[in-house]
Amino acid sequence: MNQDRSDTGADSTDVIIVGSGAAGSALAARLAEGGKKIVILEAGPDRSNKDLISSQIWARRLKWSGPPVIETGNDKIGHIFNTGYGVGGSALHHFGVWPRLHPEDFNSFSSYERGLDWPIAYEDLKPWYDQVQQEVGISGDAEQETWRPDGAPYPMGPVPVFAQGHVIKRGFDTLGIKTAPLPLAITTRPYNGRPACIWDGWCDAGCPTGALANPLTVYLPKAKTAGAILTTNATVTRILTTRDGTLATGVEYAGENGSRKQLLARVVVLAAFSVQNPRLLLASASEKHPNGLANSSDCVGRYIMTHPAGSIYGLFDDETLSYLGAVGGQLLSQDGYDKLTHRDKGAFGSYQWMIAQAVKPNDLLGIGLTRPDLFGSKLQAFMERAIRGFATMTAVAEDLPDTNNRLILADEKDHLGVPLAKVTHTTHPESKALWQAVMDEGQAIFKAAGAQAIWTGPQAPMHIMGGTIMGSNPMTSVTNSFGQTHDIPNLVIAGPGLFPTSGGVNPTYTVHALAMRTSRHLLDNWNVLTA
Amino acid sequence: MKGCLISQAPLFVQGGAEKMLQTRRSFLSGAGAGLLTFSLGGCKVEMTPGEARRQQASYSILNAEEVRVLDALAETLLPGAAAAGMAHFIDHQLAAAPGRQLLMIKYLGVDPPFSAFYQAGLTALNVYSKTRYGQPFPAIDPAQAHELVTTISQENPAGWEGAPAPFFYFVLRNDAVDVLYGTRAGIEGLGIPYMAHIEPATPW
Repeated sequence: MNQDRSDTGADSTDVIIVGSGAAGSALAARLAEGGKKIVILEAGPDRSNKDLISSQIWARRLKWSGPPVIETGNDKIGHIFNTGYGVGGSALHHFGVWPRLHPEDFNSFSSYERGLDWPIAYEDLKPWYDQVQQEVGISGDAEQETWRPDGAPYPMGPVPVFAQGHVIKRGFDTLGIKTAPLPLAITTRPYNGRPACIWDGWCDAGCPTGALANPLTVYLPKAKTAGAILTTNATVTRILTTRDGTLATGVEYAGENGSRKQLLARVVVLAAFSVQNPRLLLASASEKHPNGLANSSDCVGRYIMTHPAGSIYGLFDDETLSYLGAVGGQLLSQDGYDKLTHRDKGAFGSYQWMIAQAVKPNDLLGIGLTRPDLFGSKLQAFMERAIRGFATMTAVAEDLPDTNNRLILADEKDHLGVPLAKVTHTTHPESKALWQAVMDEGQAIFKAAGAQAIWTGPQAPMHIMGGTIMGSNPMTSVTNSFGQTHDIPNLVIAGPGLFPTSGGVNPTYTVHALAMRTSRHLLDNWNVLTA
Repeated sequence: MKGCLISQAPLFVQGGAEKMLQTRRSFLSGAGAGLLTFSLGGCKVEMTPGEARRQQASYSILNAEEVRVLDALAETLLPGAAAAGMAHFIDHQLAAAPGRQLLMIKYLGVDPPFSAFYQAGLTALNVYSKTRYGQPFPAIDPAQAHELVTTISQENPAGWEGAPAPFFYFVLRNDAVDVLYGTRAGIEGLGIPYMAHIEPATPW
């Protein structure tokens, strides 16, 4: 049994985990394997592999369908596209691009007086990166990644390079910019009972084969095997605390029919992503925490970040076979990862190229949307031409944290009476300059590759980070390096909301590494934590 | 309507195992082709959106005038989109529960329900057509329709009501791409393989 009856009559458990995405499922697996009773409360519906239908239209069911998030600012965070809904969360439709943060990402302020420092160094995460890499199975070629931080080599060989990758690589080679196989949490050979990927480009619709390491494939099965209970359609509406406000005691949640229940626990973990976590903290304000839980620093909701991403598109005479491969891409370039690479253009920050993404004709990332100006017979002609010679690559650029990019509670409430989240985000000028410089570089690369036509997409928000940042100083951050909130030590945050700075890489690998580090800490300090 | 469900691909036929197998194949083929349930003559009938259009199956949300405008707009945005069932696609999605709607507008900062967005835009388009050409949008010739869509793709015409015209254009244009190129038939029609892991039982 994972739930007991408390003195008050409410059910109780050791750990409540709010959210079943990347962070929640990894923590659930490790803590359950460590002997703790775990209940995961997932606001959305249950998902299984049969729900991962190969269609960009059907894939939209996996995106956020919960209460609206009000978005303002010049550069909105793209909440619905970047967020998942249901078991597996955002990671259910993530593309499996898993590079590591670099050592310089952890001390950005100390080194450059830009951004914020992490309370840990790369070396603190390195063993957890290595452990996750082995457990999940990442494909890549560490030797070719000359920029790669120190770490164990990949357990699987790299993604194959198809025609599109070779075509674009010509441009990088001509300009002397290094590339390497893209590190992917996707199998290139049978691995731990999972089959090898067949590179058919359906990652965004969710991978039902088990080749891509989404939560349904790796950590949720581990968690369930170890006894964790997953409750779906259970929306947490409030975090409960002791009368003096010093400890979390559990949560109040609404079931599918709206009925309210309480579940008590010795530790509460919020793993509901970068928007719902701070929303829930703020909405749980009490007499002892009038500005929201864990918010004595006034930092809850602040420093929301989203990578300013940009795509380069080109038409080539070559047959690019752009429907083959992984949606994340085939090749990577972090040759310009140094934060000062484009300083002469007023830019600051790191960036990477994800090269040769597999594309479908439709949807937000599809070929058809790359030329929204075309319609009628011109659109038809474009599609017929592009399906043969289209190529693309996408830059992920660092988003400098800004205290004014923040989430607050709106006046409007959802159907359960919880105030909606209102998120303001405007890209930092030096991050915007970085995006522009990188777009210029990308066009030069495509020109060098021999593209017959080159065009670019708009600045697009990719990933959502911050909002509950970790730090050493309780006056300027929400949690310590393990995600424990400074104010309420048995209230723990997990996920990319912890990131004080974004770096220029995809966050999911780091989310897993942090979750592993946190779970070890919780298990090692359980008695102290729950005394 | 109870007792009135009709499938264009018969599920059961008289005969032996071989015929049953053929029927099974027919069913799977029909499912792959995308059978949805439409209302026809008071009965619930399973057919493809294209068949629904040809057989004039009724609509749940859009009225007859809105459908005429949408059909004409679909054909202007992407020839073949109307015949592929764009009006039924949009109507079908608008009738679904908000959490199950599959329209791309979901990503674009418009809160559900989306009916008001579509209906206001179609009305505005028709009003603008009457103002500019003296006729409703379905009645103007293709060159005029092209001119009009070019305008709304770039700016809000005077008197336009509803969501901004370029945004309306953007959303409807991408709906057309969904319908024509986002299905097995559409992808294979472009000459590339569909390669489904899990075949969608219906295109949407």
